[in-house]
Amino acid sequence: MAYECDMHTFYKGAPDVVVLPETTAQVALLVRLCRREHVALVPRGSGTGLIGGAMAPHGGVMVSLTRMNRILELDFANRCATVQPGLINLWLSQATRDAGYYFAPDPSSQMVSSIGGNASTNAGGPHCLKYGITVNHVLGLEVVTGAGEILSVGGKAHDHPGYDLTGALVGGEGTLGLLTAITVRLLHVPAGVRTLLASFSAIDDASEAVSAIVAAGIIPAALEMIDETFVRAINEGVGAGYPKGAGAVLLIELDGPAAEIEAQAGRIVQICRDHAALEIRVAQDEAERALLWKGRKEAAGVVGRMSPAWILQDAVVPRSRLPEIMREVQAIGARHRLVIANVFHAGDGNLHPMILYNDLEPGELERAILANDELLRACLTMGGSVTGEHGVGLDKASSMPLQFGDADLNFMARFRRVFDPDGIMNPGKLLPSHPACGEGFRPSVPRLPAGAWV
Amino acid sequence: MAVSAPALGDAFAAIVGGEHLTTAPSQLAAAAVEGVPPRWLARPGSLDEVGRVMSLASVEGLAVAPRGSGSALDLGAPPARLDVILDLSRLTGVLEYVPADMVATVQAGVTLDLLARELCKHGQMLALDPYGGGSRSVGGVLATNASGQRRFRYGTGRDLLLGARFVQADGTVTWGGSKVVKSVTGYDIPKLLTGSLGTLGVIVEATLRLHPVQPASGSWLFSFTSREAAGSLAAAVLASSLEPERLAWLNAGALERVGSERAEAALAVSVATVAEAVTSQGALLGSMASRLGARVSALDEGFWTRVGGGLASSTVVKLASEIRRLPFWAGEVERVISRHGLTVSLVGEAGNGILRAAVEGSVSPDTWAREIVAPLREALAAEGGSLVVERAPLDLKRAADVWGPVPETALAVMRRLKTEFDPRGVLNPGRFVGGL
Repeated sequence: MAYECDMHTFYKGAPDVVVLPETTAQVALLVRLCRREHVALVPRGSGTGLIGGAMAPHGGVMVSLTRMNRILELDFANRCATVQPGLINLWLSQATRDAGYYFAPDPSSQMVSSIGGNASTNAGGPHCLKYGITVNHVLGLEVVTGAGEILSVGGKAHDHPGYDLTGALVGGEGTLGLLTAITVRLLHVPAGVRTLLASFSAIDDASEAVSAIVAAGIIPAALEMIDETFVRAINEGVGAGYPKGAGAVLLIELDGPAAEIEAQAGRIVQICRDHAALEIRVAQDEAERALLWKGRKEAAGVVGRMSPAWILQDAVVPRSRLPEIMREVQAIGARHRLVIANVFHAGDGNLHPMILYNDLEPGELERAILANDELLRACLTMGGSVTGEHGVGLDKASSMPLQFGDADLNFMARFRRVFDPDGIMNPGKLLPSHPACGEGFRPSVPRLPAGAWV
Repeated sequence: MAVSAPALGDAFAAIVGGEHLTTAPSQLAAAAVEGVPPRWLARPGSLDEVGRVMSLASVEGLAVAPRGSGSALDLGAPPARLDVILDLSRLTGVLEYVPADMVATVQAGVTLDLLARELCKHGQMLALDPYGGGSRSVGGVLATNASGQRRFRYGTGRDLLLGARFVQADGTVTWGGSKVVKSVTGYDIPKLLTGSLGTLGVIVEATLRLHPVQPASGSWLFSFTSREAAGSLAAAVLASSLEPERLAWLNAGALERVGSERAEAALAVSVATVAEAVTSQGALLGSMASRLGARVSALDEGFWTRVGGGLASSTVVKLASEIRRLPFWAGEVERVISRHGLTVSLVGEAGNGILRAAVEGSVSPDTWAREIVAPLREALAAEGGSLVVERAPLDLKRAADVWGPVPETALAVMRRLKTEFDPRGVLNPGRFVGGL
C-alpha cells in the first residue's frame, strides 16, 4: 500500500480512500463532503516527509495533490512565480534558471519533494543559513480551509492589510487546510559561487570553526558538517573522495558578488587553519563543486551501508552550543552502546544525529529510542527547538510540551480550530492529543526507511 | 459586577505602582489616541504586571491600547473605545544576547537606538530601519509591521522575529516560536502577531534574528529627467545579479525634502559588503545608470535618515503594488494629488513595490475620500495591491477608511481569529482592518 506511510516508515496507517483532485474546486468539494460526514482528511504531496505527517493513522480520505503540479505563472519582473502544490521543488528552479532566477529553499529531497509539501512543513535545506526557510519565500497562498472556504491570502504585492495569514498558514502541516496554489519569491542567481571543503581531525575543532566563521560576520550560503562515520561511509558508498581519516568535514558554500566571495573565502581558509584544519580544498570549477556536494547530497543514501535501521533526529541548538552538543551526542551514543552518525546543517545549529541500530538485536530499538529522547531533551535544555526543518507531524507531536507550555499549546489549538472547526484536518498531527482523547497513536512497524533525505 | 472608576484606578495602581499610573485629566488628554483620551495610562514594569493589567481590564471589559514609544499611535482607525493605554516604555531590558548565535531577546519597550548600541559592540545589527527612526520601540515596530528600505535585503519583522512572549487579551502569558535561527516547531504564532496592531495579544518580549554589519558600504544617487528612465534602471538592477541593500525611488518633491539636486525622479542605491565588492558593484551600477542617462552622485549614510525624515508629514499614504508597476503608480499618485493643488513627495521601495506619499496642502474630507483615496485604492485593488492611510488628520481618517476593504473570505477568517482570542474586544477595538 503506497499511501500507508511517508518517508518516516516507522508509522503506518492506510487511508480508506485516496483521492487525486485536479482543481481547487474539487478540493473544496472534498473538504465540504468530509466535513459533512465527519471524516478525517489527510493532505499529501510527494510523500517525502520525515515526520509521519502524510499518513492516515485514523483512516479517512487522503488527498494526494500530485496531479496539481503545474507552474501557473512565471513573473520575473516581479521576481515571483505561482505554482500548484504538486510541483516538484527542483522543477521550478530548472524552469527559471535560463532567465537567471531560482527558488532558494532547497530541501535535500528537492528533486522529488513538492512545493506544496515544502510550504506545508515549512521545509528547510542546506541553504537556509543565508536565505531562510520556506516561509521566508512564500508571498501568497490559495488555501481550502478545514471549514471548506477557498481563501486567497497575500500575493505579488506585499503588505496586504490585515493579519499575516500567509505567514501563519505556512508550516500548518495540513492541519489548517490544503494549499492549492502558492506564490513564491524567486531570487536572481548569484554572480558567483565558491565551495570549500575543510577537514579536521576532531569534530570539536570543526564545531569551533563553524562558530568562528559566523562570529567573523560571514554568513555562508551553506555550512554543513559531516562526521567521521559519515565521511567513511560516503567515501565507500559514493566515492566523493573526501579526505581519508578525517574526524569531521565542513562543506562551506559562499555565493554573491565575485569580489565578496573571494574575500570571504580567504577569511574562511584562515579561520579553518586557525582551528587546526588538516586540509582545505576549494572547488575550481563546477565539476569539482558538484563532486564536493555529491557526498553531502547522497549522504542519507549511504546509511544503509552502515546499519539496517536508524532513528533520525532533527532538533536544533543555538549555534554557540554546537561544540557542547556534539560532545553530548557522542556521550549519549557511548552510554547506550550505539553508533550515532552526523551529517547536518551546522551553521543553523540544526542537528541530524542518526542513531544506528540493528532491529534484529533484542533491545537495540529500545535503546535507540531512549538515546533519541535524551538527544532531544539535551537540545532543548540548551535553548533549542524540537524541529528545525522536518516539522512535527505524528512523530514529534508528543514532544511539543517539551518546548511549549499549556498556555502556548492551548493558543495553537485554538488557532487550529479557527481554520478547522470540526477537527477533520490531518488529526493527530502537530499538536499533542489531549490525554482525555484516548491513547496516542503507536507505531505499528518498527522499521525505518532506506533512502531518506536529511 | 463592575467596579467603580476610582476603585479600578486603585486596582491598576496596586499592580503597577501609583507613580506609574496616570489619572490626571490633562496628561490623559495629551496621551489621547486620535482624539480619544484614555481613563488611565498604566506603565507596567514587568511581564507579570502586563499580564495582571490585562487580566483586570479583561474582567472589567475595558478597552486597552498597547503603546511602545508612541510614535505609531496614529496608525489605524480611531478607537471604537479606549479605557487604558498600556505603556510598555519601562520594559527596556535586553534579556539575552549571545553574539555568536546572532539572536537577541529584548523587552518590547527597547528602542531601536538602544538595541543598536548594544549590538554594534559586536559588529551586529537588527536589520529593521522603519521610517521614524531609532526612537521607535521594538514592540511597536513589530506590532505595526514597520519596515524601511533595508527590507529588500533582510526582510521585514515577519522574517526577523523568531519568537515572542505575549500577553493575551485575558492576561494569559503565552510564548510562540523559538529562540534559535531555524525552527519549524508548531504554528508560527510570531508571524500572526507581527503587524496585528496588538489586536490579538501584546508582544512583551521578542527574540530577534540579527545580521552582521558589513565591513564596507556605499550609496549613490542616480537622477533622471524622466520617470521612465529611473524605472528602467530599477528594473535593470533587479534583473541583474547585483545585490543591493536598499533601492529607493524618490520623486522631485522627495529630492527637494532631502536636499538633493532637482530631478524628475531618482533612484538611490546602497550596497553593503566587503570593500572590494562595494567598489566593483558601484562601478557596475554606474555603468548601467550612465547608459540610461543618469547623473550620479555619491551619498553619505545620513542620506538614508533624511529619506525617512522626508516622510514626516501629517498625511502619509502607503501604496503597495507589483514591483514592476511602481514607476507607473508614482506617476498616478503625482497626477491625482497635484490635480487638487496638493504637493506630494514620494519615497518608494523599488525592490518591493511599496510607495509612500507624504501629502502637503489643504483638502476637504470629501475630496480626499472620493477623488484621491477611492480611485487610487480601486485601481490598485484591481491589480492585487492596496492603499493604507498611515497618517492623516482625523477628519480625513473619518472620511475614508484608513485600511481599505479586505476580501470577504479573508476578513471572515480574521474576524474568527479576533473572536477566538479577544471575544470581549479588549485589545485595540475598532482600530484594525474591517473594524476589528
